[in-house]
Amino acid sequence: MMHGETSQFDILIVGGGLVGSAAAWHLARLGLKVLLIERGHLNAGASGQNAGSLHFQIERRFLEQGEQAAADGARIVSLNRLAIADWRGLEDLLARPLDIAMHGGLMVAETEADMALLAFKVERENALGLPSQMLDGAALRERAPCLSPALAGAAWLAGEGHANPRILVDAFATGAQGRGAVIRVGTALKALTMARDGTYQAVLDGPDGETRVRVPRILLAAGHWVPRLAGLLGLNVPLYPAPLMMSVTDRAAPTLPFLIQHGGKRLSMKQTEDGNFLIGGGWPSRLARRADGSPDLDSPPLVEPANLRANLEVARRVMPAIAGQALLRTWTGMTCISADQLPIVGEVPAAPGLFVAAGGSLFTLGPTLARLLAQTIADGAAPEELAMFTPRRFAHLDAFAVLP
Amino acid sequence: MTGYDIAIVGGGPAGLAAAERTIAAGLNTCVIDEQQRPGGQILRQPPTGFSVPGWLSGAPYRTGRALLRRVEADPRLHWLGCRSVLGITPCAQADGFGLTLSGTGGGLEHIAAARVIIAGGCYDMPVALPGWTLPGVMSAGSVQTLIKAQQVLPGQRIVLFGTHPLMIVLAQQIVAAGGQVEAVCFAQPFAAMAKAALAHLPRAVRTPGPLAAAAAGMAALRRHGVPVRYASPVIACEGADAVTHVRLADGTALPCEVAAMCYGFLPQADLPRQVGATMRWSDPAGGWEAVHDDAMRASVPGLYVAGETTGVAGSDAAMAQGAIAGLAAAQDAGALTPSQAHAAMRAPRRARAAMQGFIDLLRAVANPRPWLPKAAADTLLCRCEDIAAADVDRAIADAAALGDSFGASAIKLRCRVGMGLCQGRTCEHAVIRRIAARRGCPEAVVAGFRPRFPARAVSIADLLDHAE
Repeated sequence: MMHGETSQFDILIVGGGLVGSAAAWHLARLGLKVLLIERGHLNAGASGQNAGSLHFQIERRFLEQGEQAAADGARIVSLNRLAIADWRGLEDLLARPLDIAMHGGLMVAETEADMALLAFKVERENALGLPSQMLDGAALRERAPCLSPALAGAAWLAGEGHANPRILVDAFATGAQGRGAVIRVGTALKALTMARDGTYQAVLDGPDGETRVRVPRILLAAGHWVPRLAGLLGLNVPLYPAPLMMSVTDRAAPTLPFLIQHGGKRLSMKQTEDGNFLIGGGWPSRLARRADGSPDLDSPPLVEPANLRANLEVARRVMPAIAGQALLRTWTGMTCISADQLPIVGEVPAAPGLFVAAGGSLFTLGPTLARLLAQTIADGAAPEELAMFTPRRFAHLDAFAVLP
Repeated sequence: MTGYDIAIVGGGPAGLAAAERTIAAGLNTCVIDEQQRPGGQILRQPPTGFSVPGWLSGAPYRTGRALLRRVEADPRLHWLGCRSVLGITPCAQADGFGLTLSGTGGGLEHIAAARVIIAGGCYDMPVALPGWTLPGVMSAGSVQTLIKAQQVLPGQRIVLFGTHPLMIVLAQQIVAAGGQVEAVCFAQPFAAMAKAALAHLPRAVRTPGPLAAAAAGMAALRRHGVPVRYASPVIACEGADAVTHVRLADGTALPCEVAAMCYGFLPQADLPRQVGATMRWSDPAGGWEAVHDDAMRASVPGLYVAGETTGVAGSDAAMAQGAIAGLAAAQDAGALTPSQAHAAMRAPRRARAAMQGFIDLLRAVANPRPWLPKAAADTLLCRCEDIAAADVDRAIADAAALGDSFGASAIKLRCRVGMGLCQGRTCEHAVIRRIAARRGCPEAVVAGFRPRFPARAVSIADLLDHAE
């Protein structure tokens, strides 16, 4: 049976990942009545699938696309500075341990070319107030004796590190619930329309059948699903799925307190509180395909064995002792990337009251973007730090949208 | 990369029976197994160069031994022993599958196969009870393995406990190998076993062999003075540094050096799950069994399943299913016409159907569900990651506070249960039972751990030292 319309909520959040849960937490604290729905279970998507890096140096993916992309990427540094502060305060904010380790991060270099790229990066970062610094080979070996003596050096940034993606979302979600947010798992957004008065009518499909809610505001925080959800309104959000893979080894005595990245190759590596090594860094897995050949976003992506080997090979070059560990599990997950590489966060110009937040790097940046976005949603003011992420930069894609 | 028409995973009765049919049909067939020699768990052979007088000479092993002799001697068989299958992936460009194997002597091997038959067998259901992590507490299957392969006993005074009549067979084997069985403790009362058996007896007598073997086994135990106790559930294994006795529900302590549990078996399911085959919860014991059509085709095109992977039913059933799977694969490969395949399937189908009565009887008699011992709050459910039952229950309660749709993976993410070296094989069924109890739903609807590559943990050095 179809339940009657309810309009008791100020906002509907679609997606029970980090951004959705953290936004729910902040919005509930600001006094809004929040309904959060999640199609599967909380933290089942990229928020729980990523390897938990807290990376605040400019990402290698920006560096490898030439100087212009690097300069664009550098703009994100201002947000990274806020994110460092947010992560430092998160355990106090949520009043529970979150396995956050911020002992610093090393982006290592194997060659002089890598070193030159890192020096270019550090210069940009320093100009924007991020206190990264170059370490030569000797200084690197002193700081991280577990790494290969063949490394040429590294860029160091205090405050980088890692956190446990398995527990953060639960902390935000239960905290939000405690502040009155309603969370419905196993509930999908089935249909979405905008009424003439500018409110949104959503049809939700959950364990108890279909329900309808009418809300003045909606936040789509469903990772690579956001384009499909925005598509319910005929809107275009240029996000593209990026299937990745990550690996975990068995446990070992602690030897690696830092986040390790690589300036010239894809790598992220860290040792968790429990002693396991997590290895990733943006190596692609393969999208599952439907029988007709189209990509199957509903199924988990497939491990690409050649990329797994390449990923582990880079890890071994950087830290030879990793070869002595056993690979326990390689898992795949789906992040997404926007048309210009930066996350898309904010109100959609064509649909006032509709907010989106997705686009990669949202573990590291998620708590900060959710906090800023919640402010925007609650009081309408747009914080300056969010300006570069505005969906407005893609407004031309909605030039032909038909809305009331 | 080496390519085959057919790759068969598992060299036990099902895999060998399948291989016999695909080889006969002229298909280039490999059989991959973790053991050095063919036979599987049930026909586990001593290592090459060793001989064991009277090895598995009993009547229940006769058919299997004949199959083993035929297939092992066939020069057309590509036997890939001492290898674990770490992953199976559908080929990106072509039909068929790529298989990643852990090689012999380090490194990985990759093979391609147009069709894959998974005949992975089963493993002992590990049951968490207080003290089960003490040295000396083992599974019945591991005791049997030591005896079959090496004629080695894990200790002198052995208690067998659980619900499965395999304990009768194992007790005989222990005695024959020179060991001492202190007691065989069936948790269920004799009357319950008899009642369960009677209901299925009229159909079970169609295959009298196993029933006669069971009766003979009981008689042999009586001759050797092995006490068989009924209504004697073991509630804990106790001892300081190793097990010294098991504790029965009535307070009795039975001294022992080895306590071997035998509550039944779980299908080896990680490979069909990894490749995305449709699975169903295996009632009543638990675990996941691969769903198949009447010719053993799994839900994934090109994938076939046979034997205990499809539900634990014993080696005779596995041989029949293996033959059917091999014939179906040969038919689908164009090596047999449909009418040839159909005609050849008639005999194994008839044999398999005739066994159903005994299989049902054994499942009913051995059903562990009413008799599973309880884990205490501090009993480790996940012995790889040291996660106690109370930790798991807390994670389940936390997840339940947010709604009712969660499965085992959500609990794994919350408390690390199932994250360790065994890849969740040990604890998954227990986690699913606890989730179902909390959610008030059938176990069959609780999603299990998401299957991952590699199916077996593998050293990174081995992974990397592989030459393409």
